[in-house]
Amino acid sequence: MSGSKPDILWSPHHPDRYVICDSELGLYRIGPVGSAETKAGTLPLSEETAATLLAINSDTPYMKCVAWYPKHEPECLLAVGQANGRVVLTSLGQSHNSTCKELVGKEFVPKHARQCNTLAWNPVDSNLLAAGLDKHRADFSVLIWDISSKFAPETSVAAEKIRLSSVDLDSSTVVTKPLYELGQNDACLSLCWLLRDPKLLLAGMHRNLAIFDLRNTSQKTFVNTKAIQGVTVDPHFHDRVASFFEGQVAIWDLRKFEKPVLTLTEQPKPLTKVAWCPTRTGLLATLTRDSNIIRLYDMQHTPTPIGDETEPTIIERSVQPCESQIGSFAWHPSSQNRMVVVSAANRVMTDFTVFERISLAWSSTTSLMWACGRHLYDCVEDSAEGIESMIEKDIATKMRQRAQSKYGHDTVQVWRNHLLAGGNDVQLKSLWFDLYYMKQCVEDMELKLQGNKQSVVYSGIKNIVKTSSGTAESRRCWTGSDRQTDVPRYHSEERCLALRLCGWISRGPDIDVETFLRSLEQEQEWERAAAVALFNLDIRRAIQILNKGATAEKGDLNLNVVAMALSGYTDEKSSLWREMCSSLRLQLKNPYLCIMFAFLTSEPGAYDGVLYESSVAVRDRVAFACMFLSDAQLPRYIDKLTNEMKEAGNLEGILLTGLTKDGVDLMESYVDRTGDVQTASFCMLKGSPGDVLKDPRVQSWIENYRNLLDAWRFWHKRAEFDIHRGKLDPSSKPLAQVFVSCNFCGKSISYSCSAMPHQGRGFSQYGVSGSPTKSKVTSCPGCRKPLPRCALCLMNMGTPVSNCPGTGKSDEKVGLTRENKLAQFNNWFTWCHNCRHGGHAGHMLNWFRDHTECPVSACTCKCMQLDTTGNLVPSDSS
Amino acid sequence: MELHILEHSLKVASIEKEGIQICTHGLIKLAFLASKTRCKFFSLTETPEDYTIIVDEEGFKELPQSEHISVADATWLALNVVSGGGNASSSQPIGVTKIAKSVIAPLADHNISVFMLSTYQTDFILVRERDLPMVMHTLSSEFTLLRVVNGETVAAHNLGVTNGFVKPKLVPRPIIHPLSSPSNMFCVTSLDPDTLPSVATLLMDVMFYSGGQKEPGASSEDSSHIRFFSFSLIEGYISLVMDEQTTQRFPNNVLFTSASGELWKMVRIGGQPLGFDECGIVAQISEPLATADIPAYYISTFKFDHALVPEENIQSVIGALRKRDNDHFQSYFV
Repeated sequence: MSGSKPDILWSPHHPDRYVICDSELGLYRIGPVGSAETKAGTLPLSEETAATLLAINSDTPYMKCVAWYPKHEPECLLAVGQANGRVVLTSLGQSHNSTCKELVGKEFVPKHARQCNTLAWNPVDSNLLAAGLDKHRADFSVLIWDISSKFAPETSVAAEKIRLSSVDLDSSTVVTKPLYELGQNDACLSLCWLLRDPKLLLAGMHRNLAIFDLRNTSQKTFVNTKAIQGVTVDPHFHDRVASFFEGQVAIWDLRKFEKPVLTLTEQPKPLTKVAWCPTRTGLLATLTRDSNIIRLYDMQHTPTPIGDETEPTIIERSVQPCESQIGSFAWHPSSQNRMVVVSAANRVMTDFTVFERISLAWSSTTSLMWACGRHLYDCVEDSAEGIESMIEKDIATKMRQRAQSKYGHDTVQVWRNHLLAGGNDVQLKSLWFDLYYMKQCVEDMELKLQGNKQSVVYSGIKNIVKTSSGTAESRRCWTGSDRQTDVPRYHSEERCLALRLCGWISRGPDIDVETFLRSLEQEQEWERAAAVALFNLDIRRAIQILNKGATAEKGDLNLNVVAMALSGYTDEKSSLWREMCSSLRLQLKNPYLCIMFAFLTSEPGAYDGVLYESSVAVRDRVAFACMFLSDAQLPRYIDKLTNEMKEAGNLEGILLTGLTKDGVDLMESYVDRTGDVQTASFCMLKGSPGDVLKDPRVQSWIENYRNLLDAWRFWHKRAEFDIHRGKLDPSSKPLAQVFVSCNFCGKSISYSCSAMPHQGRGFSQYGVSGSPTKSKVTSCPGCRKPLPRCALCLMNMGTPVSNCPGTGKSDEKVGLTRENKLAQFNNWFTWCHNCRHGGHAGHMLNWFRDHTECPVSACTCKCMQLDTTGNLVPSDSS
Repeated sequence: MELHILEHSLKVASIEKEGIQICTHGLIKLAFLASKTRCKFFSLTETPEDYTIIVDEEGFKELPQSEHISVADATWLALNVVSGGGNASSSQPIGVTKIAKSVIAPLADHNISVFMLSTYQTDFILVRERDLPMVMHTLSSEFTLLRVVNGETVAAHNLGVTNGFVKPKLVPRPIIHPLSSPSNMFCVTSLDPDTLPSVATLLMDVMFYSGGQKEPGASSEDSSHIRFFSFSLIEGYISLVMDEQTTQRFPNNVLFTSASGELWKMVRIGGQPLGFDECGIVAQISEPLATADIPAYYISTFKFDHALVPEENIQSVIGALRKRDNDHFQSYFV
């Protein structure tokens, strides 16, 4: 016997049994490896499973194809198609009960011997067994046998003609008369019953696929094709059929049978088996000759009919169940994505489960999900601190919350934006106060500055102090004491401006920090207030502040001790006080207390202890520097500090850089560190439109922030941001890209009306007029021909929508209420870019709430579905 | 009914018996090692005179050049009649009988020479490639003409040459060649290509080594016993024609035998080599058989033609053919 290729069949009803057929039939039972281990002769199939051989049947030589009886009873009945065309019923490994005994051994013999290529049991009427045979002249190639038929009387007549000795048949078990004969003068290579109707049989004939209908056997539906092997119906989609020819698989839709709906990429070697997965929709497995991989085609994502022309997408994968070359495989009928594979040689079997592709999706918020097979996993980060806090720390969550609280939109009390941001971020607080002070300085009419006031203010302290000229040096007494200090203090216009930007002094020529001190006291920043007072050479005030702090509610009594220490100040160079203070100050935990003593114990002009105390706010250090550093020292210090800030991406440095290119550099490192494009966008929008906003980095932050808002479906926030942006940066307003042109004269309607005396804003003016007093424009201003009609109300455009609530009398009084705005939109003219039909926006919205097709009769355009985001709803309720 | 014009371009060659040893290398490859060649159409028929080879262009490359091989100069195309489904009864005649009136007679009327090859599976009508326009013109009224291109069946377009065709002369066709009927009986059969390797040595023996030396017993037994064996491998299908004695040498269950197991007698046509230009020879034989509704196979070889008829019908065949031309039959039918 020549080596025939092995094949596998799963039992239709026992999920643990299968048959391997090569030169003989072998029935196996599959089970967990543990339980099988005890018995001898088990074969491991995988790490967990093993198979036991239950029975062997070698009664039927020259096997060409095998099919398992689909019904429960008799449970292990197999039809075997032989090389000479005979079909024999046989059984495996069970006690022969009565129903089976009658059938086993029954033979069905065609008139002319030729190879039996394929067998198929009818899934419903299980007495019917279809056999596909090779061609023999004018004989039929598809024979449908009734296995319950008793041998026909004609067989005895035919038996007379049997002369060859080999045909010694027991006529009682031989059936020679098929129930149906189909496919005359042709060869049949593959068969399957169609699931949509058990009377329909699909056959792969010599050069065509044919559908035979048993109710009318003289008719057949057929299509000429080469892909006629291995026809198989998708068990999940009864109109979908796969067949193959050499290396190519064709997928057919029986409803549109003229040509394959798609053909899969051709393989270099001929295919041997193609099978739909019974447990997973749209998964097709294919095997080619001499191969150790099984190729899988996932047609799960096929039905996405946005347009009729879109090519369906298929995902192709390969799996390698075992090392050796694969002879055949079979999907498990019920276990998900599982198959048994048998090797081409030596009958080595492998139990294998195809792992599903994992598809992963990040949401625009913090969750991550993935899908695998029938499972959907929601992924959360596992952390000791708890998920909530982790999420809260995430900048995306923060930005989302801040966007909802209108962060960045307070353009008057600019500093309040840090409260909108949550009020607990030191850098943001500093940033928004910087911007607030800058704004104040710009608005201050009394401030006299050379050049453009705005550009100077926003150029940052670094640039302001560079231009410093006419610095005056003064030595003042300690306030409340007549002792002369040897501390020189410097004054100039620019330094004064810098102090204002630092927030130490408010408007007016006098250097008066009292307001600032009071506000600090109010915020109970005792140490800071004391330091500021001290730097203004008012030790008494400083001591007083500290005392207040110590007696205040929740005050620190230690402040009194500090005040006492302070009161012992002496300018004696070698005093014990000095010595002790300069060494012990380092142990003070509060940086402001620390710098106070540093100031008092340092030599004039050498204030490193103050200037480089990094835990002191930048604005205080800068203000200090502006007061006590000379023209030579100051720019050097500022430059150094600026670079430090830029490198660290510390927003406090915006005070120094202003909204300049330096500022953008600083912001860049801040965004690199935090990802906070929101703050970056809002901050930079305050800068001069000319240079800063044109910086590609700034544009990219703004675009990214807008995309982020879109991704969150914060469309109203996005719109608000765009409006905000448009106010600050008029160049960002997009130019009109769409114009309504008149059908007759071709002129733009909006253009000609903007030339008219009362300016309208584009074509939104048309129909806006809710009141009858205002003039309606229902014709083209250019040629006076009427505007198009609304497809629904058939009124000319420009006529207001009749039944909308905002068009009452109250309209004029109330002004632009929310309803009114909506009503205006209802009057807008909208149209589909595909079919060019349209009408009043309100009417269109109403129509497409219940319809999918265009309201114009005989137009089948699915206008609304063309807009892929049309079905999404905004997630911000503004 | 459909007439398929197959895509094979065929050559017909004759190998002298003395020259067979120089060809066996190629022939064995064509017959048994199909995967090693791209040949799709191969037929070898041994007669007492020679070996006739019908092979497509790919297969022809496997044959050597030799003075022992004569090749008919034309390129031939194979036609195949496919009767569409229909509700034909099971008693439908098979072989040339079925197509005698619809294909063979019209072609004969138009003076188109045909070369027949019946196999277990079907009948091939070979016509010269240059005659194709005429063939299509002749048969287009009766058949749907389909052409096989790269394995796909497509509608064949009539070549549009209708001018200058002579009107057929519908004259009675007398049998003009001598006929003879050997005594041995034949079997038309096939086998599963997968089992071919297991009987390859036997087939090689039958094809190339059993012709010359006659077994001593058999030679004296019957002088009208004819040596005739045909093997074809066409598009993956194997067909065998051999006499009953040869079938005994095969193991059981390898050869396909029909349930009725019928046997066939041969009618051999021609006394002198028939050549390729004369037309109407097949028609002369097949028409009377069709009239009498007797099934028949027909195998043309390089020199002579051979018809196979059911053994139980041989007397009525002789009767029918004798009626057609008394004189010739009487004088040549042995």
